[in-house]
Amino acid sequence: MGDYPERLTKAIADLELEEIAPLVQEGLDAGETATDLLGGMCIGMSKVGELFEEGEYYLADLVLAGEVMKEGLAVLEPHLEAGSQGQKGTVVLCTVKGDIHDIGKNLVATMLSSSGFKVVDLGVDVPESAIVEAVRTNGATGIGLSVLLTSMVDSISEVVSALNAAGLRDGVKIAIGGACTTPELAEKMGVDAIGRDAVEAVRIFEGFCS
Amino acid sequence: MSSSVERVRAALELREPDRVPTFDLANELLDGVILGRKPTPMGPLLQNPRIAKVADRLLPRLDNQFWLVDLTARQIPVMGAAAAVKMGYDSAWIPYLPFLRLRDSRTLVDLFGRVSDVYIDERGNIGNPIYREGLIKSPADWKAWDKGPIFRHPVKVNKVFADVQAEYGDRLYIFGFSNYGLFETAWQPMGFERFVVAVRRERDFIRRLIRFYEDLFCELLEAKADAGVPAAVYTDDLAYKSGPMLSPRLIDELFGDSYRRITETAHALGMKILMHSCGNTYSLLEWFADCGFDAVHPLEPTAGMELAKVKEMVGDRMCIIGNIDVSHILVDATKEEVFAAVRRAIREAGPGGGYILGPDHSHPRVSVERLRWMVEAAGRYGSYPLDLGEQA
Repeated sequence: MGDYPERLTKAIADLELEEIAPLVQEGLDAGETATDLLGGMCIGMSKVGELFEEGEYYLADLVLAGEVMKEGLAVLEPHLEAGSQGQKGTVVLCTVKGDIHDIGKNLVATMLSSSGFKVVDLGVDVPESAIVEAVRTNGATGIGLSVLLTSMVDSISEVVSALNAAGLRDGVKIAIGGACTTPELAEKMGVDAIGRDAVEAVRIFEGFCS
Repeated sequence: MSSSVERVRAALELREPDRVPTFDLANELLDGVILGRKPTPMGPLLQNPRIAKVADRLLPRLDNQFWLVDLTARQIPVMGAAAAVKMGYDSAWIPYLPFLRLRDSRTLVDLFGRVSDVYIDERGNIGNPIYREGLIKSPADWKAWDKGPIFRHPVKVNKVFADVQAEYGDRLYIFGFSNYGLFETAWQPMGFERFVVAVRRERDFIRRLIRFYEDLFCELLEAKADAGVPAAVYTDDLAYKSGPMLSPRLIDELFGDSYRRITETAHALGMKILMHSCGNTYSLLEWFADCGFDAVHPLEPTAGMELAKVKEMVGDRMCIIGNIDVSHILVDATKEEVFAAVRRAIREAGPGGGYILGPDHSHPRVSVERLRWMVEAAGRYGSYPLDLGEQA
């Protein structure tokens, strides 16, 4: 069958936008399982994360890696078994009410999905009621809140209050991220972690699981 | 004692003025409060459900109604300059952005194809629109886009800035802001994910967009210079909290020649030009200086930017502006904390000149009272030769 998972790892890590889809198809045609090919791609995303932390790759490279991953998954997904992804747990992600910035949130979604989490992405400008409902409906154990605008930070405490009122706060861990977030803000808002970037977000949510 | 204009000019030329100058960062939401004026009626009108319903029906049929929002936009530079003078600032970022039209009662579209949400604060003031998405996702979209209003933009800028400069230019050093930078106008009309892919797959299209906006920016410099404005703001958020959004190599490859032409044009017109980029910009500071910028702003503390480090890196090449925190210091800190922050900033960046003190950003929660304390503290601690004593 060859080394298609390893070749996909390299294609993702090298941001090979044009080569990924044909390579995935080649691997499937050669008899590789979709799960093994996905595994290779996910390792590639981990390598992208390492390169980002080493300062070799930048935000645009993380985004491009996400796009490469999407093009590969478009070929692969019809062949994946239902439930083969998301074994590490379910995370609800959104940008808080009043804020509509989403680059960071989208990157976190990509990195968490690639790392084995099921991601429920609620989008931007999300009221606390929708977050509570998503946690309840999906049995989520993690919540990621993105906030860029300093004027919208109070939305974080509204989410925490709503979870408390719904009796769900003890069952979820909350991480925040975004330009205006600081450790002091995280403590003030009563959340569990603050992430600098999408790569750290993976470590944070994996830490929540352990 | 020097005038404000002389003071700021000395700082920009990396000389010691009589004292550290101050810089007001545009905050149209607070200007009305400072001047004791009621909000413009546009905000409350848009929030009225009956009027909003009519607007939502009519506005999409009114093509090219930039003039409608411009009725409000024209007040912003006038109020900004008046408020800055009243607060005692030496200089101010004065914006005039007559390039928005209402798509409906909640959404704005600008000349460049960016869609934003209308932002109205609890007092009814219309603030900075919040970018949501873009409308130019392909070369075909760009070709079909009506660029007529873009070509008329410099004429409007010239007229408004001529009026503001004539009224306030002897008391306030004006940094004129009339357009966003090349990176933002390249990626925001198409979205960042689309932009990243386009840089890989449609590089010629991206280059064409960059050249177009480079030409526009140079025309806007001409318009402001003709109006007598001494300096321009070039704002291009190249970085975020952790560093540049693109690799510095790619930034130089895509924008370096354009940036250098823009600063050369400004200097040939006798103007200074300020580079504004939010985020952690350490790895770009030397490049900003190499490109020819005279000053750098805002140096956000929440992005890890430390004045002493910036001064050491580029203080002999560019004037440093900003760094007074708006996440806490200028929002809800005590007077003692505000004074301490100003003292620290002056101690770290003031020696030898080349520092202009001001907020690192603006948003609705910034406190007018704390801005007054900041200006007061600058007056107390900023006289040259600096003597900050043991308390520093």
